[in-house]
Amino acid sequence: MTTPTVTPVGTTLDGLTEDAVRAVAAGEPDWLVDRRLAATKRFLDQAWPDSRTDEFWRSTPFAKRFDTSHPLIAEASSDAAVPTSLVASLELTTAQLRIVDGEVVEASVPAELAALGVVVTDLRTAAEEHADLVRDHLGSLTTSGEGSGADEDRTISVNDAAWTAGAFIHVPAEVELTDPIGVHVHVSRAGAHLPRVLAVLGHHAKATIYLEHTSDEGVDALVDEVVEVIALDAAKVDVVSLHEWAMGVSHLALHKFGAHRDAQVRHSAIVAGGATVRLRPECDLLGPGASVRPLGIYYADEGQWFDLQPYVRHLAPKATSDVLYKGALQGRSRTVFRGNVFVHKDAVGTVTDENNRSLILTEGARADATPFLEIECADITAGHGSATGQIDARHLFYLEARGIPRAQALRMLVHGFFREVLTEIDLPGVEERALAHIERELAATDLDRLGINDAALRDELG
Amino acid sequence: MADLEIRDLTVEVDGSDILRGVDLDLDKGKTIALMGPNGSGKSTLAYAIAGHPAYDITGGTIRWQGTDLVELTPDERARLGVFLAMQYPVEVPGVSLTNFLRTAVNATSGQDVPIREFMQRLRDEMAALDVDESFLQRSVNEGFSGGEKKRFEILQMALLKPQLAVLDETDSGLDVDALKTVSEGVNRLSGPDLGTLIITHYTRILRYIAPDEVHVMFEGRIVASGGPELADELEARGYDHLKTSV
Repeated sequence: MTTPTVTPVGTTLDGLTEDAVRAVAAGEPDWLVDRRLAATKRFLDQAWPDSRTDEFWRSTPFAKRFDTSHPLIAEASSDAAVPTSLVASLELTTAQLRIVDGEVVEASVPAELAALGVVVTDLRTAAEEHADLVRDHLGSLTTSGEGSGADEDRTISVNDAAWTAGAFIHVPAEVELTDPIGVHVHVSRAGAHLPRVLAVLGHHAKATIYLEHTSDEGVDALVDEVVEVIALDAAKVDVVSLHEWAMGVSHLALHKFGAHRDAQVRHSAIVAGGATVRLRPECDLLGPGASVRPLGIYYADEGQWFDLQPYVRHLAPKATSDVLYKGALQGRSRTVFRGNVFVHKDAVGTVTDENNRSLILTEGARADATPFLEIECADITAGHGSATGQIDARHLFYLEARGIPRAQALRMLVHGFFREVLTEIDLPGVEERALAHIERELAATDLDRLGINDAALRDELG
Repeated sequence: MADLEIRDLTVEVDGSDILRGVDLDLDKGKTIALMGPNGSGKSTLAYAIAGHPAYDITGGTIRWQGTDLVELTPDERARLGVFLAMQYPVEVPGVSLTNFLRTAVNATSGQDVPIREFMQRLRDEMAALDVDESFLQRSVNEGFSGGEKKRFEILQMALLKPQLAVLDETDSGLDVDALKTVSEGVNRLSGPDLGTLIITHYTRILRYIAPDEVHVMFEGRIVASGGPELADELEARGYDHLKTSV
């Protein structure tokens, strides 16, 4: 079969119509077109989020941070300056897929992996060649309603209706991959970009996926991304999401996992770039014994707004979740952490914990944190907490008293703040990449102006 | 002039006078003990020497080999050879012990000590102080018991090789065996190039580390000075009689 060519669709997100969606869907099988049109109906019935009325948007002004009047982009610019992805830089023999400006420009699977039945391909192609899998799972975590996360939010239905370029990953049952699969989304053209990812792991399969996001400097774009990952019984999936946009990009992202019996999910977000990133790493724990570990590292600088909303739903007994997000802020920047853990009345034996820590380095930055728990079941173990603070003057004094100059001591303490998360993301190249972001941000700040919390010093007066 | 020369030192914390005119001399090669009841200002003197930011020096001087430390930042003092073994070492999460020690050694020695040589020295000193090698994997003071923290302070002293060591209640919280190990560690470091100021409430550490002089602080002043026999006298009579004598 051939991959259908995408014709320019000539619509903005605001002006999305059935006709425009039909143009995006040109050449796709009927069942897929029908699904898109159903999503279009939802889209047309909905409004964009309103920060005055929508609880989940209370902290982030949608209209100010996301421009929905952008034209939909579905074709790669020929002169896009696509940087080498982290996965490509590791020089592994692994599968990679690249989406540039709403178009899949490259998808490759080495013969060894293809022989195992591993699929990494354009989602449109997959809709033909792996129709059963795509049919079963595409949209299963965003649109199926009862029990599995119907979304009232236009930011999701717009992607369900009009995603332009998609990645499909299938790791068959009992296939365990060691090297990460790379999915690289790059933006070089101003406008609205709607990338989509669907990954399905069969029972006892194991895979790591690096989802990388980059853009050309100075490009003004809105990226509305939906990622669905289905981990069937006892599958193990590790997703690393690197947000390395240049300043012109605003990113809406839903990364949603369905974890079946005994499946293990880990999502590690490293958020460093972009004007606005609103990331929803979500997981439905659907089967007994499933577990999820949402991890996050973020570092916001002048003008950046990061809104992080991990959401875990315990829908089955004896599942575990442990959320840990740590962020630093400097300049006039803003971060929002709104974590939520829902425990269904049948989810007996749930073990859950949820933590957020923010380190405010300079004046003018603001961090909001609300770790929620919604519990319908009594027989569980649950914890949650958040703390926002500055560099602890006691720590600083201890290092300085050993001869370490202030600037170096501060750098060590910021690294130390992130260490807990970094140590855990033991995947090739990721720690180095995160450290490089931390170093770059530290280099951009005036260490003499860092706020120091000296209230704690009083504790040790004697 | 003594190597360490403290003159008429007055220190305030949160607006209240803690030190009210302290004079003290210490030469390299000597060990002196500063004793006194709780709240007399002993720890304040230790922190003032090290440059703790919560202590306001309102008058007087702390000269170390001719340089007034009062004007210097804590790290500058440390690089001049001043070391404070803290009474309550703080836990510094996420900062690895090995990285911290190496950075501190490089900063105070002014040299980039090769990693292999550094690790060898570190392992030797750890063995001498009976510190388990598993500590190399940990963060600074994190999850250490009180005794482990004190040992780790002396381990740092051994690696940084200061010329002035202030030991602030290093004996508190140590059982007899640990006290012995730590005292032996300090004694091993003693010599013509090190002046040691031992701050203690009790005399028991002085059974292992013999002071050349003993000074007694009370209400922010040195009220008695003498030889080792002064410690024995305090042991016998306690601090209460000081209250009537001043």
